[in-house]
Amino acid sequence: MKHKLLLGSVLALMGVLVGVAFFAIAQPVQVLPRMALAPGYALVDQNGQRLTNEDLRGSIVLYTFAYTGCGEPCATIERTMRAVAARLDEVDTGGAPVRLITISVDPERDTPETLRAAAPALGSDGSTWRLVSGESRVVKQVVGGGFGVFYEPRPDGAVRFDPAFVLVDGWGITRARNRIGVPEPDMLLDQIRLLGNEIRASTGVARYAYEAAHLFSCYAY
Amino acid sequence: MIRTRFLLAGLALMLLGTGSALALGARLNRTPELHGTLLDPPLPAAEFALTSGGGRLVGPPQFRGKLVVLFFGFTHCPDVCPLTMQRLGAAMRELGDRAEQVQVILVSVDPERDPPDAIDAYAKRFHPSFVGVTGTEDELRAVASSYGIFFARNDAGSEAGYSVDHSASTLVLDRDGQLRLIWPFDTTAEALASDLRYLVRR
Repeated sequence: MKHKLLLGSVLALMGVLVGVAFFAIAQPVQVLPRMALAPGYALVDQNGQRLTNEDLRGSIVLYTFAYTGCGEPCATIERTMRAVAARLDEVDTGGAPVRLITISVDPERDTPETLRAAAPALGSDGSTWRLVSGESRVVKQVVGGGFGVFYEPRPDGAVRFDPAFVLVDGWGITRARNRIGVPEPDMLLDQIRLLGNEIRASTGVARYAYEAAHLFSCYAY
Repeated sequence: MIRTRFLLAGLALMLLGTGSALALGARLNRTPELHGTLLDPPLPAAEFALTSGGGRLVGPPQFRGKLVVLFFGFTHCPDVCPLTMQRLGAAMRELGDRAEQVQVILVSVDPERDPPDAIDAYAKRFHPSFVGVTGTEDELRAVASSYGIFFARNDAGSEAGYSVDHSASTLVLDRDGQLRLIWPFDTTAEALASDLRYLVRR
């Protein structure tokens, strides 16, 4: 009798162990890693409105970097942003708004007026997708320092930079840095979807599964 | 003999299982009702050294082993900063002996009107252990930004000429200098003290 009890509890505990191992290996819940705090900033958008990181608290934000005089090199970035903006209703974010922000890497020439003139052709509506700029040294510090995106003006007037799509959650924490070429809209939407899943599971028992997913590094990207 | 071995192995396995299950459960569940956002695992935090009273360079690295509480404000601040600083002071007094394990640093967001001695003296008005630091505008912007804090001069401001709009959250670095907790503005002194007590115990 005693042995049966012991065997029973051993089996039960092995069950727990197998469960934990299964969770760690099979990763049934996937999350995006919490990488670092996204930078704080105060910039200006195409309508002359101040935009700060605090205004975006509670929103999922996809940041990109480009400039209006860029032409063909930026066209893929802009096309991707348009596609993501158009398909946002496919993603359930648990009520969290999604915002797209494109920060100019040519702030000297990209004044709010220039950005406003360029916005319609790009598809930026000034609310879901905003184009922002600011003082050169502030932009340099935010984009170069905070987001870690290097850019420099070239002698011919163009600006050299590598495309980056940075996803920040409602707490202001960077969750994805897509820096190799221009990602597919599907992948960006999937990353937004993962954040949405986490938000929807932020209450009750499901929260533990998501925290465990962070604990076991069940990272999707 | 075989049976004893089997029993011992079973027992060891059981202990291991219980241990890991408890560790996991504790990790997920040990958090009491925290009033700020706990970052678990903690996030990397930027290091810095800025100028305090008497020209001393002060920054989080020299307080390793203590919790470091960071708030960004300025001496001409009409409401948000004095309120937050006063609550941090009250929380420190509530902590009693444990307050020795907490260092509050006030970082200026108004380099023009906050010389090192002024910001440090201002911080000490709320608790003698507090330190205030400042630097050039570019230095302060870089430090603030790296902690997700924005600030911008607002000329449509107060009687003092201008005001500075800034993020009002307060951040806590753990003993290893990693970002652990973020309090929103308007967290009460009791709530601050309760969260700090929890973090000090860990």
